[in-house]
Amino acid sequence: MKPIRMAIALLALPGIAAADPMDRVIDDTIDMHILPRFAALNDLTQTLADVAAEDCDPDAVALRSAYGDAFDAWISASHLRFGPTEANDRAFALAFWPDSRGATPRALKSLIAEQDPVVASADAFRQVSIAARGFYAMEFLLFDDTLKQAGDPQYHCNLIQTMSTDIALTSHNIFEEWQSEFAITLREPLPAGVYRSNDEVLQELFKALATGLQFTADTRLGRPLGTFDRPRPTRSEARRSERSARHVMLSLTALRDLSEILARGDTKLMTSLDASFQRALSQLSELDDPTFASVSNPQARFKVEVIQNSIEAIRTIVRDELGPKLGVAAGFNALDGD
Amino acid sequence: MKNTLLSSSALLVAFATPALAVEKSEVLDTYADIAAAKYEDSLVTAQTLQSAVNALVANPSAEALQAAKDAWLAARVPYQQTEVYRFGNAIVDDWEGKVNAWPLDEGLIDYVDASYGGPSDENEFAALNVVANPTFTLSGNAVDATDITPTLLAETLHEADGIEANVATGYHAIEFLLWGQDLNGHESGAGNRPWTDYAAGDACTNDNCGRRADYLVAATDLLVSDLEWMSAQWVDGGAARTALTANTDAGLAAILTGMGSLSYGEQAGERMRLGLMLNDPEEEHSCFADNTHNDHYFDGLGVQNVYLGEYVRADGTLVSGPSLSDLVSAADASLDAEMQGKLSTTMMSLARIKTAAEAGFAYDQMLERGNASGEALVMGGVNGLIDQTRSIERVVSTLGLDQIAFEGSDSLDDPEAVFQ
Repeated sequence: MKPIRMAIALLALPGIAAADPMDRVIDDTIDMHILPRFAALNDLTQTLADVAAEDCDPDAVALRSAYGDAFDAWISASHLRFGPTEANDRAFALAFWPDSRGATPRALKSLIAEQDPVVASADAFRQVSIAARGFYAMEFLLFDDTLKQAGDPQYHCNLIQTMSTDIALTSHNIFEEWQSEFAITLREPLPAGVYRSNDEVLQELFKALATGLQFTADTRLGRPLGTFDRPRPTRSEARRSERSARHVMLSLTALRDLSEILARGDTKLMTSLDASFQRALSQLSELDDPTFASVSNPQARFKVEVIQNSIEAIRTIVRDELGPKLGVAAGFNALDGD
Repeated sequence: MKNTLLSSSALLVAFATPALAVEKSEVLDTYADIAAAKYEDSLVTAQTLQSAVNALVANPSAEALQAAKDAWLAARVPYQQTEVYRFGNAIVDDWEGKVNAWPLDEGLIDYVDASYGGPSDENEFAALNVVANPTFTLSGNAVDATDITPTLLAETLHEADGIEANVATGYHAIEFLLWGQDLNGHESGAGNRPWTDYAAGDACTNDNCGRRADYLVAATDLLVSDLEWMSAQWVDGGAARTALTANTDAGLAAILTGMGSLSYGEQAGERMRLGLMLNDPEEEHSCFADNTHNDHYFDGLGVQNVYLGEYVRADGTLVSGPSLSDLVSAADASLDAEMQGKLSTTMMSLARIKTAAEAGFAYDQMLERGNASGEALVMGGVNGLIDQTRSIERVVSTLGLDQIAFEGSDSLDDPEAVFQ
């Protein structure tokens, strides 16, 4: 029913964009969901760089804590993979994972073994393979038994400091571009612009939600789950810092927030989305398994599968109910292909 | 239920367009005809490769090895143009891992350089070396590989231990057996396997020449039989054609899903941008033969020729008919112009990579850290592919196919399900 009414409205009122109730949804998504996340990422990565400059000991409590806070901020924004995060490979430079061929430890070992002078400045460091940049590379330097103490201590320290500064600069550039131009790009679609209509903007926001759910279900949970006969606990995300389950929690929390804004105006849909997110989050907190090590236990792994099923249920609601409400479909995403 | 869920733009089109000049079913016929031609060309060129491989094994020489390499390169031309059929057609996607799986841990198959390393965290069998080991244990089971047969490769070795990097069959396994590892890093130059790796008696280098030859023959025979099977699926009455044409809207959605998924997630992302961002020559699609520039070019060409409904066969003849382009043009001429323009821009960018590589600037070099012109070339292709994906999404929307095209595996596995 609703889409037909909307179509008639569009026919009757061509070009009167101000009357579109979707303007409000887009504004709220930007002001209440997107900008606060990138502001937090900007602040907390700067803190990480400052703390690393003071103390680069991988075991230092302050450094690990600043790293954890900054990584939290990234995971909470990591579904927003369009515009400023995609430009100049910024999201990849912050977060290269999954790493199915072990490129991160390989790239780090090579930098350390060769004492590659590229770590002298953050500017030069931007040339380095994304496998050796960002939060997942830093996890190896802080938490991997071998790499946390590999090579010359001074070089190791410089690497941590430059990597932190690089993370802060990338995060700053993302936030700055959102503020200076990309928020306007979303708010004011143009016939010849990146987005030509509110429909295309909504499709981008909807795609961020749908792809974020897919990534958490298929990759964050699916990789460690593997198959019943061949579980893969060592493929859990950020298992060395025991952040695997935390990332699922953070991403679901962020995606719930986004879904609430996009579903506004449809109370029934908002309620069913909220309940389905709550169910997945409760199951996760009851699991009490920070690295999903239990996937190897035939009796316990079903609890991880149940969480994955709950996220699949959210995806179904999003696809079959939220999409049609917004009048958009998910489109193509980076997870297409194999 | 879902029939009422068409987007507003689709309804606008429905109101504005009285009749389409081209029948949807004709568009599907052209698409299936082009698939049949591409897979048949892939088969014929693979049979030529098979003859060359048999000649090499029967009478090893530098010339015979080169003839087999040339035949492999020619066989890639039609095959890469079929990749646009993968993501939209479940029958192709379920099958293609046998023939074009990548990237591979080549140490599974044959000897590798010491720098390759041994078993990895991800893959216990990364350095298994079947050519050198007639018997071994795989996931707790004793395997007798005394006779290297197509069955052994397909059913025991391929994706051994459930690991996708254990690629034992297909083009890239054959490529490795013909070229060997590319140990040139970011320098130009492909793998340099000596022809004497296939020589008899004392002339044999790197040991086990007979078993290596057996492997090469088995893998090539398997490629030919797999392509025979897929060609048969696209003839009149074949399963792929029947599935495609069962529902015209689902069929059109399949075409667009294939175009968009290959352009964006697969080619722009996994195959091009990732390798560049990692500065890793191992991320080349054809890393042994240094043929990656052609892989990219012919993948892109496949997307374009499916949209335009025109394919030039390996023998030079043209297969063409009513196209998706015609259908879009009837609904929204400016969108068709946009789509055609984007596809042309991408092809120009991919041609720049190809021509630079053929003139001596190898794809390996383009990926090197700090190589600005290489980065610009590769990103030109990536940006073109991403940009054309946005127009493909607009085509989906304009044709009113939103609710079908993006439902992923559900609609692929059961096209009827989305019409309930």
